[in-house]
Amino acid sequence: MAKNFAMVNKMKKIKVIIIRTAGTNCDYELKSAFELCGATVDRVHINELISSKNKILSYDVLAVPGGFSYGDDIASGKILSNEIKYKLGDNVKKFALSGKPIIGICNGFQILVKMGLLPKPENFEQISTLSYNDSNKFECRWVHLKTEKKNNDRTLCLWTRDLPDVISLPVAHGEGKFVADKKILDDIEKNNQVVFRYCDKNGKDTVYPQDPNGSLNAIAGVCNKKGNVFGLMPHPERYIYALQHPSREGYDGVYGWGKKIFQNAIDYLK
Amino acid sequence: MKVNTIEILNLNDKQLVELSRKSVLSLSLVEMKEVQKYFRNIKRNPTDVELETIAQTWSEHCKHKTLTGNIEYTEEKGGKKKVTKYKNLLKETIFNATMKLNKDWCISVFKDNAGVIDFDKTNGVAFKVETHNHPSALEPYGGSATGIGGVIRDILGVGLGAKPLANTDVFCFGLPDTKSSEVPEGMHHPKRIAKGVVSGVRDYGNRMGIPTVNGGVFFDKGYMANPLVYCGTMGIIPKNMSEKEVKPGDLVLVVGGRTGRDGIHGATFSSVELDKESDVSAVQIGNPIVEKKVLDTMLKARDLKLYRAVTDCGAGGLSSAAGELGEKTGLVIQLEKVPLKYKGLAPWEIWISEAQERMVFAVPPKNKNKILNLFKKENVEATFIGKFTNDGKLLLKYGNEVVANMEMSFLHGGVPKPTRKAVWKQKPIKKQSPVKVSAKTLQEDIKKVLADINVCSRDWIIRQYDHEVQGQTVVKPLQGSSITNSGPQDAAVIWPYTVVKGTKKGIVLSNGINPEYGKVDTYKMTASSIEEAMRNAVCVGADPEKISLLDNFCWGNPNKPEILGSLVRASQAAYDLSLGYGVPFISGKDSLYNEYTIDGKTYSIPPAFLVSSMSVIEDVNKTITMDLKNAGNSIYLIGITKNELGASVYSKVKNFKNGIVPDLDVKVSKKIMKTIFSAINEGLLESCHDCSEGGLITSISEMAFAGDKGVNINADAIKTSEKMTIAETLFSESNTRFIVEVSPENVVKFEKMFKGIVVSKIGEVSNDKLLKLESKKSKISVKENIKNLQKAWQKTLQW
Amino acid sequence: MIFEIEIKTKKGFVDPQGLHTVSDIAGIGIKDISSVDYVAVYRINGNITGKQADVVAKELLSDKITEDYTIKQYNSLDDKKLDKNSIEVWYKHGVTDTVSESVVKAIKDLGIKEDLVVKTGKKYCLKGKNIDDKKLKKIATGLLANTLIQEYLIK
Repeated sequence: MAKNFAMVNKMKKIKVIIIRTAGTNCDYELKSAFELCGATVDRVHINELISSKNKILSYDVLAVPGGFSYGDDIASGKILSNEIKYKLGDNVKKFALSGKPIIGICNGFQILVKMGLLPKPENFEQISTLSYNDSNKFECRWVHLKTEKKNNDRTLCLWTRDLPDVISLPVAHGEGKFVADKKILDDIEKNNQVVFRYCDKNGKDTVYPQDPNGSLNAIAGVCNKKGNVFGLMPHPERYIYALQHPSREGYDGVYGWGKKIFQNAIDYLK
Repeated sequence: MKVNTIEILNLNDKQLVELSRKSVLSLSLVEMKEVQKYFRNIKRNPTDVELETIAQTWSEHCKHKTLTGNIEYTEEKGGKKKVTKYKNLLKETIFNATMKLNKDWCISVFKDNAGVIDFDKTNGVAFKVETHNHPSALEPYGGSATGIGGVIRDILGVGLGAKPLANTDVFCFGLPDTKSSEVPEGMHHPKRIAKGVVSGVRDYGNRMGIPTVNGGVFFDKGYMANPLVYCGTMGIIPKNMSEKEVKPGDLVLVVGGRTGRDGIHGATFSSVELDKESDVSAVQIGNPIVEKKVLDTMLKARDLKLYRAVTDCGAGGLSSAAGELGEKTGLVIQLEKVPLKYKGLAPWEIWISEAQERMVFAVPPKNKNKILNLFKKENVEATFIGKFTNDGKLLLKYGNEVVANMEMSFLHGGVPKPTRKAVWKQKPIKKQSPVKVSAKTLQEDIKKVLADINVCSRDWIIRQYDHEVQGQTVVKPLQGSSITNSGPQDAAVIWPYTVVKGTKKGIVLSNGINPEYGKVDTYKMTASSIEEAMRNAVCVGADPEKISLLDNFCWGNPNKPEILGSLVRASQAAYDLSLGYGVPFISGKDSLYNEYTIDGKTYSIPPAFLVSSMSVIEDVNKTITMDLKNAGNSIYLIGITKNELGASVYSKVKNFKNGIVPDLDVKVSKKIMKTIFSAINEGLLESCHDCSEGGLITSISEMAFAGDKGVNINADAIKTSEKMTIAETLFSESNTRFIVEVSPENVVKFEKMFKGIVVSKIGEVSNDKLLKLESKKSKISVKENIKNLQKAWQKTLQW
Repeated sequence: MIFEIEIKTKKGFVDPQGLHTVSDIAGIGIKDISSVDYVAVYRINGNITGKQADVVAKELLSDKITEDYTIKQYNSLDDKKLDKNSIEVWYKHGVTDTVSESVVKAIKDLGIKEDLVVKTGKKYCLKGKNIDDKKLKKIATGLLANTLIQEYLIK
């Protein structure tokens, strides 16, 4: 299963940066996922990035992993999103607008949304949020996700191309309810920026607990209009092998559908 | 800073006892006299720092005086008395078995902060389970949070530090529907305790990024005033880093949280009975993010080989941590250098505070700046506070003032051994009268048992824990055929692919606990708990000969001979079973004095022996889960069913007075578990689940609704040791039984493999989502939708 | 100067913590509490201006989409007046307040360099029939505050 680990892309080595700080938790499995897809990966502490501000621009892919940055004190992702915005904001915005792939998973999604890099990096202002789950508790479970393909039968998001109509991924969060004003929400929908929605196994609407948080329009993941900046509450990095699925489903015998998401970003850059 | 000299040289016995009580030293008269003797010899009175240091070092929590002390044990059986004398119960039973077994895959046992066994050629895996009962009774959230925080530090502090991969937690709580008026004044309601404890483990464990993958909850009114909170952590460590050695001249570095008044007297406090006025400062508050930063940075420092030894500040604080590291060398500490949360701490408070998230390192002087920089880069506070010497002395200074100066040999070897009496009397036990039920009652009883508070789904708890973080949990605490069905998985499997690149190996974690049996006989309880932990591991594919065990005793007051007697019996069972199975205990812990006095009446907890098991498996791809897979497959019951309803869930639900508590035949058990292991290894089983609380019908129901499949069961096919009624057969909790699912193409191979073992072919898997049960002999036929069974199982614990 | 910044869910959005508290109150056998508004309170003690406090409230402590903030200012805590039918819960002196450490760091990230002392508290605003002191005390001690480490304030 891990024999492909050393798979080397001879054409070009894609460089991925994973930003971490106190309370970052999902950085090792995220690193493994990108490495499995042939990238070289650095886990870099926020202090180091702030002290050499241009370092971030030397990378091809930017990933903000899950966890509890600074304990999620005040609100999840809030302190790190401010820290990045106030101390590293220009370069992060530049990275996003250059069209290079950016992914924020769980806490990373919360951070991208709260600094305003999603859903509209051009404005770089917070216009949506991830609020407390309706159940008022942390929820760890596998959920079904509908892959939105309204963009001429393919996804707008470069990260989610060629996925089946419904995939499953685990969620693990207490603040994952996507909320925005109706106008913003309509905009996101109109632009096909919704990437994943919570659904039942057939792709139909669902209720708690399969919709774990009560998100507006059952939104589990969104991207920007260009499709390079992607944020989602579920954890694709926890499903890179079929073995990680509760009933060990996957593709090509060994892989989980989460792997495809990281592969898409690497393939896009080749 | 104020240091007091305490008058001890001229005190009489009564005054010595009073001094111990007044200063919360928790030292006995014999111990106080030993202290007096030492200071009479050196012709001066001790300082408060010295006295507090002795109390911490000699505390039950740190020294385990009862289990390592002298015990005179009298056993009364059939009118005959037999006396056995132990000089060190732990060494002569549990530890002795481990020594006799002498497994070459054991790397470090009973000497460090955790037990360590082989994972592969280059790595070992470490496991430790701790208890944090008293603090959790007072402040459930903070108590359990610091419990999990503490055991994680045990793993960080084993050898040169292991990387935590998984947490486990087992709780014993009072009954959640207890009337408020029945809760003693000054205590929290059991439901409030339970909710607080779960939140504490959730918030700390989740923030640490360590998945909580295995555990259990047991409810009983006996734990109302004194809940039990067991927290465990498993981690992985390069084998060449599994030892530590301090050299004279090394510097003492304290890293992580600041020191405050938190948890002063925590170590001595845990050997005091709880009462209304229990000490406020014994409560600790945890900050997981500080500990996470320590984890991230210290493993870097470890890999750069910047230090020679590390241990955590647990009970007794710096006094224990630095004291342990410097036991062989001696050390000098400048207490004023210890970073404080706020001003005003006396030197003795700095030295024994149990403020959380602190680790102590021994650093060679040449690495001084390197290690400081490494911590500083990620905002981790690290401060040098002293030096290891070679004079065998504990020298504590505050500025220029010497505040303590004692021999390490006295501190660590001077505690006098108490002698305690222990007794056990065999009680006559009768079978219950034959249990006869109608089909309708039986159908209701199946659901009642599934809904029982000690059987029902724990998903409300489990799903609040991130059990998937790190992405390595390949067998999860709740398993099911699709992501919307789930049943209780016997054991968890961790596949550490992010740490050990390319590995196929996995680590199986499971546990066994059943205090209900201990109310009748702690020997049987211990034996059953050990087998249960092993059964659970075997169910997913662990090799029963490669299992390692951890013991955790939570008992009442050992000064009472009957209570100590039941503890001796449990230890004997652990010894017998460990040798019988050939599975070693690698670490353990005890928490005694779990009792509570109210209105002059003392309530002691039901004794609880938690067994936690860890084993390494060769190929995670071969592991299986408990949910039924395919219609048309055969269902077998492995093992014989005996008339053993004593202390069972069914007996509790039906209010039976009598009943035999399950026995255990190690030889049979060993053979069965070994054969199941072979069958899983050869791919002959589709699913496997053990029979425990609630009996075989509970296990079958769980497998059915987890797999979203129906079952047709022929109750007459179940092999029993004697003539039993259908209810007795279905709900008996006899040990050494498994339900397995076999596909048609494997039936012949399977039956051949199990020749010589009691196996009953009891039915098959169907697609109609019904549990159908037939007994022609008893003229009973039951039909129930599996969704109803699942509902019954899930509804009880949804807070 | 002391600022107390209160963060509350905006009208029209779900306040799950408040809703949960309602059912928890019923769970300990107290009837007639129909709604609870949950309010997070940050007490900032130090030399900052009202404008700076507003930046902290807006940029850090509240969520722009779902939460409102109000800022109260005191020269001394003695001037503070408690709301009717509300329970405030604060850590006792000397008990580690982990969130406060994060808030101090995050305020520095905003470019406010003054040394500040921060305490965090929780406020529950209750609505319902027959709310009296006895009921409030019972809710406070039986559910919201552990008096071993926290103190509760009612009017």
